[in-house]
Amino acid sequence: MSIILDHVSYQYQDAIQKGEYALKDINLKINDGEFICIIGHTGSGKSTLVQHLNGLEKATSGTIYYNGEDIDAADFNKTQLRGKVGLVFQYPEYQLFESTVIEDVKFGPKNLGLSPLEVDCRSYQALKDVGLSEDYLDVSPLALSGGQKRRVALAGVLAMEPEVLILDEPTAGLDPYGRDEILSLIKEMHEKRNCTVIMVSHSMEDVADYAERLLVMHQGQIMLDGTPREIFKHREELEMLGLAVPQITYVVDQLREKGIPIEGNPITVEEAKKAIWKAMKKG
Amino acid sequence: MIRDITIGQYYAKESPIHRLDPRTKFIATFVYMISMFCFQRFLGFIPCTLFLVLVIVISKIPFSHIIKGLKPIAMILIFTMCIQVFFSTGTPIVKWGIFTITAEGIKRAIFMGMRLCLLVFGASMMTFTTTPNQLTDGIETLFRPLNKLHIPVHEIAMMMSIALRFIPILIEEMNKIMKAQMARGADFETGNFIKRAKSLVPILVPLFVSAFRRANELAMAMEARCYHGGDGRTKMKPLKYKKRDGIAFAVLFFYLVILIGTVKWVPMIGMI
Repeated sequence: MSIILDHVSYQYQDAIQKGEYALKDINLKINDGEFICIIGHTGSGKSTLVQHLNGLEKATSGTIYYNGEDIDAADFNKTQLRGKVGLVFQYPEYQLFESTVIEDVKFGPKNLGLSPLEVDCRSYQALKDVGLSEDYLDVSPLALSGGQKRRVALAGVLAMEPEVLILDEPTAGLDPYGRDEILSLIKEMHEKRNCTVIMVSHSMEDVADYAERLLVMHQGQIMLDGTPREIFKHREELEMLGLAVPQITYVVDQLREKGIPIEGNPITVEEAKKAIWKAMKKG
Repeated sequence: MIRDITIGQYYAKESPIHRLDPRTKFIATFVYMISMFCFQRFLGFIPCTLFLVLVIVISKIPFSHIIKGLKPIAMILIFTMCIQVFFSTGTPIVKWGIFTITAEGIKRAIFMGMRLCLLVFGASMMTFTTTPNQLTDGIETLFRPLNKLHIPVHEIAMMMSIALRFIPILIEEMNKIMKAQMARGADFETGNFIKRAKSLVPILVPLFVSAFRRANELAMAMEARCYHGGDGRTKMKPLKYKKRDGIAFAVLFFYLVILIGTVKWVPMIGMI
């Protein structure tokens, strides 16, 4: 059970003559139950990559296998695939269209051809999971606040009960509180439903906090692939690609220069706190 | 899909036609289109086509790109031609039930088809070589005298340019929404007509919502920059006729003389 990308390349129609690639020779294996973050500069191909995983974009060359099946094969059922690989787009609240919250959440499971009872069950459960109380069920989604709308949109994908949940910058445009809420929700889904999570992110802090595996993309290629701790060791390479390491890592470095002997490589605030505490006690 | 519609989209190139004053191009297009209705003989198409080819060659826009502009009007074209073929009176060639195909009908169909194609090409030459902003600028200046009749020329021009500006944005937005709904299992391709029309709701509603949101934001941004309509508004780049515009008008005049000359004085040969 996994997603495998075998020499996948993608070119936009008008870029073929110029020889520009949106994705270039991607080889990747995504295992079950992983929490993967993808980082990269704007235009590095992150969004294009994730849109390949549920067959929204068709690779110009190369093959994508979902559980061993070629997803571009003629007899492969793409609707079922999209139910299994749920993709939450950037600013998903702009896709809400039904007159009530519950109807909008039902849209996905209905398209999968489930029985009405199953549709209802999944939709109510999804709304409960994203933490929206029953008072909101019959409210127009357009009347909600930004953070609530995003949760409804997220519930719309969760209601399909995907095995793989892909999120394209799920926290863009949210305030710090809303951001933490969404992220801990995703983490909870990951643990509770044991689904694979792939998240595109711009925040090194979020990545350090949540990711088990990190992919760094640049100009349509995967430059680095490993645990966040490994990857944040390549600071110079990351900076060359216009990226950075978590701010706390810079703070730790500065403290070290000032002569505080901090051990290890803390990448999250929590880790840094412990390491600094330890160093201070010694000193 | 929608991306393929080339008619009406600016095609960036460096050419004398691109550099012409938008007013010149607007007037020339207008005159060209009227000239198309000045003759009833096939012979008239020779100067018409030559003139158009000349403009296309100077503008450096590839022919293939211009031909693509026919795609969206192909249906109208076929429809008009069919009507001409089946419903013209004259000497019948083929009779089949209530349909009669006449020689005159075929002739008229070809004539109308050619005229329609040239009209489309002529009009699209203007939009290919003029940015929407230049175009509205030109139209605004040309129609300024109408201000005296209390017609809000500037406002209309502004609305036009905003509408044009929004087209690519909304197309992009639509593609995005379509993908997002497809990710939720939506299917736009199968099913009968009613089912397909229904499947558009999940695209159209968010599209309208976002169009209104954008319009609101734009209005706010314009007001924040003290926009208050056309009164007393000056231009950063006022339009000015240059020497090349004079040349363009001279060429246009020359074309009209030749067209009328050929249609009037060249004797009839057969049906031409």
